[in-house]
Amino acid sequence: MKPRAFQYHAPESVGEAVGLLEAHGDDAKVLAGGQSLVPMLNLRLTSFEHLVDLNRIAGLGTIERSSGTVRVGAVVRQAAAERSPDVAVGAPLLARALPHIGHFQIRNRGTVGGSIAHADPASELPAVALALDATLEVSGPAGVRIIAADEFFLSTWETAIGDGEILISVDFPSWGGRCGFAVEEIARRHGDFALAGAAVGVGLDEDLRVVRCAIGLFGVGSTPVRAHDAEVALTGGASIGEAAALAAADIDPPGDVHATAMYRKEVAAVVVRRALAAAIEEACL
Amino acid sequence: MTLVPINLTVNGERHAVAVEARKLLSDVLREDLHLTGTHVGCEHGACGACTVLLDGQAVRSCLLFAIQLDRSEITTVEGLAGGDGTLNRFQAAMQECHGLQCGFCTPGVVVSMTAYLADHDQPDDEDLRVALSGNLCRCTGYQGIVNAARLSSRGAAVAGGRPGSGPTA
Amino acid sequence: MSTTTGTSSHSAAGRYVGQRVARIEDPRLLTGHGRYVDDIQLPGMLHAAFVRSPVARGRITRIETKAAAALPGVRAVLTGSDINPRVHQFWHSMLGPPPEMGGQTPYPPVRPLAHGDVRFVGDPIVIIVAESRYVAEDAAELIEVDIDPGTPVLGYDAGTNPILVHPEMASGTNVSEAVPMPDVPEVEAMFATAPHVVTRTFRQARATNVPMEPRGIVVHYNRFAGDMQIWAATQSVSEVKSSAARLTGLPEPRVRAIANDVGGGFGQKMMLSRDEAAVILAAHLIGDRPVKWVEDRQENLTAANQARQEAVEVTMAVDAAGTILGAKVHFFEDVGAFPSGTGSSASMAMGVFPGPYRFPVVLPASTAVFTNTVGKQAYRGPWMMETVAREQMMDHVAREIGMDPLEFRRRNILSADEFPYTNCMTLVYENVTPSETMQQALEMLDVEAFRAEQAAARAEGRLLGMGLGVYLEPSAIAFGMLSSDLAVLQMDPTGRVIISMSTGNHGHSLETTIPQIVADTLGCDIADVVLIQGDTATSPTGPGTGGSRSAVIAGGAAQTASMRLREKIVQIAAHLLEASPEDMEVNASVVSVRGTPSKAVPFAQVASVAHMAPDSLPPDMECGLEVTARFRPPGMFTWSNAAHACTVEVDRETGMVKILRYIVSEDCGKMINPMVVEGQIAGGVVQGIGGVLYEHFAYDGEGNPLTTTFLDYLVPSAAEIPDIEIGHIETMSASLGGYKGMGEGGAIVSPPTVANAIHDAVAHLGVHPTDFPLGPSQIRDLLRAVAT
Repeated sequence: MKPRAFQYHAPESVGEAVGLLEAHGDDAKVLAGGQSLVPMLNLRLTSFEHLVDLNRIAGLGTIERSSGTVRVGAVVRQAAAERSPDVAVGAPLLARALPHIGHFQIRNRGTVGGSIAHADPASELPAVALALDATLEVSGPAGVRIIAADEFFLSTWETAIGDGEILISVDFPSWGGRCGFAVEEIARRHGDFALAGAAVGVGLDEDLRVVRCAIGLFGVGSTPVRAHDAEVALTGGASIGEAAALAAADIDPPGDVHATAMYRKEVAAVVVRRALAAAIEEACL
Repeated sequence: MTLVPINLTVNGERHAVAVEARKLLSDVLREDLHLTGTHVGCEHGACGACTVLLDGQAVRSCLLFAIQLDRSEITTVEGLAGGDGTLNRFQAAMQECHGLQCGFCTPGVVVSMTAYLADHDQPDDEDLRVALSGNLCRCTGYQGIVNAARLSSRGAAVAGGRPGSGPTA
Repeated sequence: MSTTTGTSSHSAAGRYVGQRVARIEDPRLLTGHGRYVDDIQLPGMLHAAFVRSPVARGRITRIETKAAAALPGVRAVLTGSDINPRVHQFWHSMLGPPPEMGGQTPYPPVRPLAHGDVRFVGDPIVIIVAESRYVAEDAAELIEVDIDPGTPVLGYDAGTNPILVHPEMASGTNVSEAVPMPDVPEVEAMFATAPHVVTRTFRQARATNVPMEPRGIVVHYNRFAGDMQIWAATQSVSEVKSSAARLTGLPEPRVRAIANDVGGGFGQKMMLSRDEAAVILAAHLIGDRPVKWVEDRQENLTAANQARQEAVEVTMAVDAAGTILGAKVHFFEDVGAFPSGTGSSASMAMGVFPGPYRFPVVLPASTAVFTNTVGKQAYRGPWMMETVAREQMMDHVAREIGMDPLEFRRRNILSADEFPYTNCMTLVYENVTPSETMQQALEMLDVEAFRAEQAAARAEGRLLGMGLGVYLEPSAIAFGMLSSDLAVLQMDPTGRVIISMSTGNHGHSLETTIPQIVADTLGCDIADVVLIQGDTATSPTGPGTGGSRSAVIAGGAAQTASMRLREKIVQIAAHLLEASPEDMEVNASVVSVRGTPSKAVPFAQVASVAHMAPDSLPPDMECGLEVTARFRPPGMFTWSNAAHACTVEVDRETGMVKILRYIVSEDCGKMINPMVVEGQIAGGVVQGIGGVLYEHFAYDGEGNPLTTTFLDYLVPSAAEIPDIEIGHIETMSASLGGYKGMGEGGAIVSPPTVANAIHDAVAHLGVHPTDFPLGPSQIRDLLRAVAT
């Protein structure tokens, strides 16, 4: 189980990296933490003639919190984000999701940006980005552009990042007021990909009514799924059970050796309900 | 095959080696530096046997290309005990609690928990089991390893489960 | 009786057996200084990789190797037509030669590499030998193999399939072995009139041993010297040596096999596999450079032999009072394409099926079939389907007749006054304590308190359950070449001893436990005893490890040798002290006259005399201080026993199972090192838990494996596992030292124990699980089916 040969590039600037990607096209692949990519290379499930390592580029490894957002650079390690007070305060949903990723050794190397750009539909961070309406900054031959999370995830391992572009940072909007967040997932073992999972946020008014709601599902399709109908229903006065049923109603999850499609659909409703309950409880504190 | 020269500091010792770009850190440690304590159990980041410290952080050496790590500091299991062979606190606890049988997963467990326990005060049992979940062991049922983690973090182990839970005679 | 206390203790010299002696092997393993097969690096060493079949069954129409052979760094590209004709013989010592050579074991066809056709996904077709594993894998990708795929043979009904897995076999059927159900009219009459007759079929999930170190071998054939040196990840270096000699035609003394440290085996490394045979033959062919093959995890999961693809149909008759009247049991085994030997464990399973209960009669039958899947081999308790079936059946029958499963067990379990007891399959149980371990486990659990907790939880809609499992473990299996073991004990001129044995280091702790026995028996410090094992050049021929044999048989040999050596030491000392041997005592490596401590002579002096001063020895005594002792235990089995209990919570909505408590009461006789015993228990239990809740090596309907990495083949981690609470009962066996084996039991009875706990949690809903795995999706399927 050894990877095919490749040429290794360690650019020291975004411009240099973009130039390499532009020059080598589909033969090149960005390497961030490598915790998803390298296993696939070792298994020879995929290979590239050129690997462009982002880890030597200055400035991609910082977390910045401003009034309305937390900006996480592309190669910020998941473990660093997990420990970051800025993330804890400004993007609590991200903080809740991070411990579910793999194991601490994986998070020590894996990056927030890499996980989102890898776009595995069963992983937590794409669903968090989607639920929070994160925006993603990419840099490419035509300069910098911002992609909204709901336009970012196209299919399994497929995103709106274009040819020659790299993800530079992710902005997670901070919520104000009385709010709560929760991540619930069902996985066979600790650290496994979720059979079904939900990342949710709720905002309450003074009377403890839900006035804001965001629900991102993972493990239930070819992309993370935003449960808009359920969000609207909940803010419109539906019970969390009703909202959870709505969230699961339209999904069409896959079946595999670990769980049937029916199981995933059923359990999607359970994790949404449990996550909403936990988030509302937190918001009520 | 192109070889690229890199410098690695491993267990405090500087090494200049020439590596093929695709060569995994685990293989470079084992084959080029003859540090065979780092074990290869899955090469897809799941079993944890190959865990080493990279700039002080526990990482999978099978998911890193050595070429990425020019001028990095690496600690392997060979670098944890004292120069005179004195076991570190967790290693000693592993022996005390029978935390290893065949010993193959052991280097990854020792590296991981040495790093984890240095960063975490008074972890509870669930913390310890979750921290250990990235290291698969097929021999011990984890009982001795969990006890070793308890012993080295709190100074007490529980071998057969709950103290006094069974009859004595 | 006692429960476990905490940790190891470093006792003062003198008494080691029975104490938690810290392991001698640990410091090197904890610091990264063990030596496993992959750590071997030799000058000029080459690396092997295989091209394997991507389809379950098919005809090979073309193999194109030119591009691979031309790749820089590739030394050899060998196919079945290169390798297979070089096989002289390929059979396993434990099972004896095949029928055409006068033996009785019906082996599958002998072919290290596929030739003409492929018979499972993973079947090795080509072996490549290159300067590095990287290059070997590159070359593998350049080899073109055209296969005309055929319909694979799959499933327990393969015996009725006209397509044959092995068309060249004379049997003309996919049934590899079968025993028909005996026709006994009086038993049929009993079943016809029994108040209760219950039938269930229990299915296990295919699982694989998963030693953390995969298989591996380094072979150096020096054609100029005519000898072969092998380093292997094996449970038996003797078996590697013998197999390599048989394969190549080399005389056995020309082959040396070494295993320093081995990263677990659990049965997978007992017998030489086809892949390893291909490496040996390739190295033999290449003839001057060492060849290393260390499989990767995907190979280990897809091409190393597996286990547990088994189903058991049980019909049990019970009288109105809940007394077992008898059973009919049919074992079904899917042994895959190339099992290790026959792959079948049915004959053993039949004998031990009655377990710890009074069964007046059991009628057994078995059917083992070849299929186009990876072969079957031993995995910790290879026959354990009998316990899996029986212990679940006890619960199913009890519920069917409206009796508490505990009460049903109590009525039928053998009690202390019934031993020795000959079970209805003619096996004799003695020195076992099934009732006592069950009682201890139940006390540790506190059934009453749990039932109250369960009722309270159920009132809240939560599902809690408790399960029990009881078994007798036929340890130290002693037949054929497994019957005995040899110890060679030598005291050097300084008074320290080396003991050489056929065993190896792959987790059994023998480097510590054998010296414990030797030190106690001789009367010396444990630091003065060194075990030499794992090298056919320095250790005697023997079966290695397996069949839970080491404590009883290797331990018995070590103890016998030590007694003989001690006798000679005492004789020499008595002669030197001008005293009678009967008046001598030994303490801390000093022989003295009892009651006169000043009249003493240390081992070092005795040894020095024995080696250097033959004329000072008693007349007619041979010089030197070495003995050999071969030990054969008194019975074919040395029975140990245990009872397991566990409690679980089943999440009704998600089907997730959490084990709340896991309890073991074990009677393995005199414990040499309780810490090691508990380690074996915990390890076995967790493998068994894995087999119920997590592990399933799955194939699709085309014979394609679906769980080929650790992301899909789910080995339990620490986070899924509870503390295991252990109680001990020590009833001496009839074997020397009172030891019993216990290495497999944890894995044998934990699966039905966990299954019974899940059953208990959901039975009131009308759910009665019979099939593994019991993953969350399967449990939801069961719950959904009864939902109203």
